[in-house]
Amino acid sequence: MSTDVGRETLTRPLRSPSKRYVGAFVAGLAGIGVWLFFYYQQLSNGLIVTNLADWGSGGGVPWGLYIGAFIWWVGIAHGGIILSAAVRLLGMDTYQPVARMAELLTIAALTCAGLYIMIHVGRPDRLVTSVVPAWPWRVQWSPLMWDVTVITAYFVLTATYLLLTIRHDIHRLRDRLPDVFEPVYRALMLGYSEREDQIVERMVWWLAFAIIIMAPLLLHGGVIPWLFALLPSMAGWAGGVQGPSFLSIALTSAVSGIIIIAAAFRYAYDWQELIPEQVFYGLSKWLGFFALLFLWLQLQQVMTGIFAAPTTLQHATEVKLSTPAYWVAIGLVGLGLAYIFASALKASLFSIPRIVAVSFAVLAGTLVEKTLFVVEGLQHAHFALYDGVPGSYVPSPVELSSILGAVGIVVVFFLAVSKVIPVVELHAIQDDHGDAEPTEVSD
Amino acid sequence: MLPLSLPPFMNPFVGPGTYLIFGIVLLPIYLMLAAWLVGRPTDAKRVALGVGYLVGLTTTLWGSLFVATMAIDVVFF
Repeated sequence: MSTDVGRETLTRPLRSPSKRYVGAFVAGLAGIGVWLFFYYQQLSNGLIVTNLADWGSGGGVPWGLYIGAFIWWVGIAHGGIILSAAVRLLGMDTYQPVARMAELLTIAALTCAGLYIMIHVGRPDRLVTSVVPAWPWRVQWSPLMWDVTVITAYFVLTATYLLLTIRHDIHRLRDRLPDVFEPVYRALMLGYSEREDQIVERMVWWLAFAIIIMAPLLLHGGVIPWLFALLPSMAGWAGGVQGPSFLSIALTSAVSGIIIIAAAFRYAYDWQELIPEQVFYGLSKWLGFFALLFLWLQLQQVMTGIFAAPTTLQHATEVKLSTPAYWVAIGLVGLGLAYIFASALKASLFSIPRIVAVSFAVLAGTLVEKTLFVVEGLQHAHFALYDGVPGSYVPSPVELSSILGAVGIVVVFFLAVSKVIPVVELHAIQDDHGDAEPTEVSD
Repeated sequence: MLPLSLPPFMNPFVGPGTYLIFGIVLLPIYLMLAAWLVGRPTDAKRVALGVGYLVGLTTTLWGSLFVATMAIDVVFF
């Protein structure tokens, strides 16, 4: 791709909005509006409008879809920046065209994860009043504080990564960017000189290094599963397998998210040349690999839970296996894996619409699995504290509407950001990508 | 097993989180900052920019939430 044509292609989303763009924006806002309508009911009447008040108004479950969706969004956030970091650290240049979209997905998905904690605690100001004053003391002991700490660090690292890498592109594409955002560009380009490119490239290489260790191993394979795995009183939650299991689900859903976002931009802006089918074919293989790990770790949990397990773990596992929704989740991921396997054997079976459909199915499956994990873990504890609470947990319309709202936020976020900065890195079309390679050899 | 209560002189600075968060989880960030400072090529202004983003974003994130909390307190309670 010649540089001029490439730059024209790359900056296509920055042009005046099309009717389709406006339609998508309105649809995103409508999703947010539906959720706000229900959220207003929750703010006015309290968590009683969900099934999550006090000890849980349905079967003793004070944690439900909100916490399941929180884990799900953090998981989606993970793959984004990990993919981008892998492009930089491991030279996986094939995925360069989707690297920045992946970074943006991390920011949007982490925002949704934070939002879920805010709406889960009831009064939104509890997010600050229960965390900030207690932090210096409770970070020593509380897994909840560990989560807040590491998610904050992760968000800040990702945003810093984006802010540092965007300078290179804004400088070179400034004549094609809309003048209306000049103050934004001026702020982003503070103190920029071309001389810094090599230095900043080295800095973001180390940023990517920090992220690729911290995010998978210590956040989604660490402090997030430890919210559950460290509680021996909850049979379905406890145990070291939760770390790898959470991580496999995170990576599976994250790759699905990237596939959907990249396919949407490719379709909307005719980016067949910029994001070739090969990128999706490659991503599908990663999706298949992570889905396989996900299913394998489910098998580990089922086998250790039913063979000769302690009574309560055996009970929790048997309940899980008799829950139809669990098999729906496993089935959706399993069918996706079957398709990816088949298309790896026979490439003609592969198509982008099909892998997008698989990605939606996998995302639905992982959300169901995570919510069930949270709910059933609480329902089948080692103690009988919740046994007297009648009913069973079913997500309320208030909770369900939040999914619509969060997806709307991600849609609006991408549409808005795509009008301000290029959502594909300039490196993706540069023949001289080598000049920006990290210079870590000098370290 | 970890003790659930500590003698007063040790509270609140010794718990698994002390070692876990500051000793293990944040270690990649310490390494990153060290590499920014001691590796080549480097430049104090760009390192300051990077550190400024890290500190500034953390402060902005929780600072804005704090302001929103105060606003909720004033308006509703």
